[in-house]
Amino acid sequence: MSKGRVHKPKNLLMIAMLSPYLALLFLFGVLPLIMAVINVPSKSPSNPNGGWHVFKIVLHDFRLVPAAWHVLGFMALFVPLMIFFVVAMSLMLDTDTAPWKKWVRLAYIVPACISGSVAVLLWYVLLEPTLSPFKGVMHFFGITQATQIWKTSNLTYILVFMAFLSLAGQWILIQFGSLQSISGEILEAARVDGCTQFQLATKIKLPLIRKYVIYMGVLVFAGGLQIFVEPQLLNSSVYHGIAQQWSFDQLSYSLAFDNGNFGEASALSLMLLVPSLIGALLVIFKTDMFEDVNFKSPKKLAKEAKKREAVTA
Amino acid sequence: MSIDFDKKAPATPEAPRKKKRKISIGHYAVNGWLIFWAIFSVIPMLWLILAPSKTDRQVSYKNPLSFASFHGYVRAWKNLQDFNSGVLAHWVINSVTYNLAIVVFASVTASLAGFVISASRIRFKKTFLISTLIMMLVPPVALVIPLFIEMNKVNLIDNPLSVILISSLYPFGAFLSYIYYSNTIPPEIYESARLDGCSDFGLYTKIAFPLSHPLLALLAFFAFVGNWGNYFMPYIMLPSPEHYTLPVGLGALFFSTPAINPGNGATSVPILKPEIALAGILVAVPVMIVFLISQKRLIRGMLAGSIKE
Repeated sequence: MSKGRVHKPKNLLMIAMLSPYLALLFLFGVLPLIMAVINVPSKSPSNPNGGWHVFKIVLHDFRLVPAAWHVLGFMALFVPLMIFFVVAMSLMLDTDTAPWKKWVRLAYIVPACISGSVAVLLWYVLLEPTLSPFKGVMHFFGITQATQIWKTSNLTYILVFMAFLSLAGQWILIQFGSLQSISGEILEAARVDGCTQFQLATKIKLPLIRKYVIYMGVLVFAGGLQIFVEPQLLNSSVYHGIAQQWSFDQLSYSLAFDNGNFGEASALSLMLLVPSLIGALLVIFKTDMFEDVNFKSPKKLAKEAKKREAVTA
Repeated sequence: MSIDFDKKAPATPEAPRKKKRKISIGHYAVNGWLIFWAIFSVIPMLWLILAPSKTDRQVSYKNPLSFASFHGYVRAWKNLQDFNSGVLAHWVINSVTYNLAIVVFASVTASLAGFVISASRIRFKKTFLISTLIMMLVPPVALVIPLFIEMNKVNLIDNPLSVILISSLYPFGAFLSYIYYSNTIPPEIYESARLDGCSDFGLYTKIAFPLSHPLLALLAFFAFVGNWGNYFMPYIMLPSPEHYTLPVGLGALFFSTPAINPGNGATSVPILKPEIALAGILVAVPVMIVFLISQKRLIRGMLAGSIKE
């Protein structure tokens, strides 16, 4: 019918408007993955005949297991610390609405603008016993020499410290924002029932912001797994050799740019992408984080509308 | 429901005196800890802002949070300007221009995408939304090596276009726009405009765009904050110093000067801790200003789609 003919050009205009974003999504979201997959079996010094067993070669790389231990150790401390601290702080911020808390919240956001290379500079200063604003505290604990702090065995703790201080503030504010979405009536009812502040926080508020906590957990996990800038800069600029191929991404970088082995680098990148993808899919489909998003196709929507019409008729 | 940061707490019911005192002690302890953490959070930034006022020796021996003189900033700025024939100016200009291009291109494409998804009935909407959400949740660092391979194939390595184009993919912006348009413009408005003969492009320019100034501000804010301090992507894609951005340049200052590591050897222009701190200020302070002005927007944006306006 003519109706269809009328709609066709309209949809074309809509598609034209969508196309710049679609092109970017394809070129820089999908195509790199295809290129990486194509690149994996290419010939390289460690894989002279080429082939898919490059994944096996990567898994047997002597640098992979230490990198895995470093990153897993980092994640084992960083992820729970972030979740526990951020949730506790946001619940504490939410106990009352004193006007001075506005300034406290403003202060928490400050470390969020210290990331990447600036973070390395600042946390280097913070942990250097001769420069640190906290050198009094460090001297009290007997830390007077940089060598007492800056060693490979301490690196996990140093990087947890850096990442935690850079990210905690902004997540505290985000979780505090999520607490503001809880209905005042629910909280009031709980108070009338005799709930203490602690019970209110643990029994009422915490379950209600669970999905935001999971969302944070997934993003923090996926980001932590890909740690690169901090160990790379510490290693190349601050203390040479302290974090040589310390993380997965550093190893992937080294494979690509030191060894010129893009096949292995692509294989490692693809392997690292899997946990991030699983995390993303879990958040999308297994939590109600994006419950407002209408995933239904126009056909399904039309069918549902017809059904509703039939019921009302 | 709106996120009201200053909403008044409902009145607490009368509690027995003993219980009240117990709550008060806990209350003071909690508030004390919140204030302590706030002070702890600002100290590093304070150090960064105050360090260039001192000489290198004063940075090591004077009180870390003391102020020396305004002349210190001038001296550090002059030294930074003289470093490698004024390469810092290039880094500042690069950072500003790349970010400006990214903010404009990313915001426009994301806004259009969000509008189309909310206002049209095109096919593959579900696939599009899911892939956008996946891209939003996967850290960008995960794709850096594959992106390098791709850019290398099309000879865009060491070309600022590589960073600008890659960073203009803004799935979070597209999702935010979709939520914004879905929540603020009822579909009936589009329908009646269509009946009046409005084209689909007209729907965007005459209805959606005039109503989307808050959205565009939010998109520009997140695009700027996300890209200004980005290190890994420009570090990999732009190997020539004249193409560096400020964060990559700061990393190069660590690497090529004795400021942090005396083992790096002296440079012709003294680039020491005050100079490095001043370069750090150039990277951190613009983001801090934007953050402080827009903290409420940051939270609303980060929770887009899950907290209703």
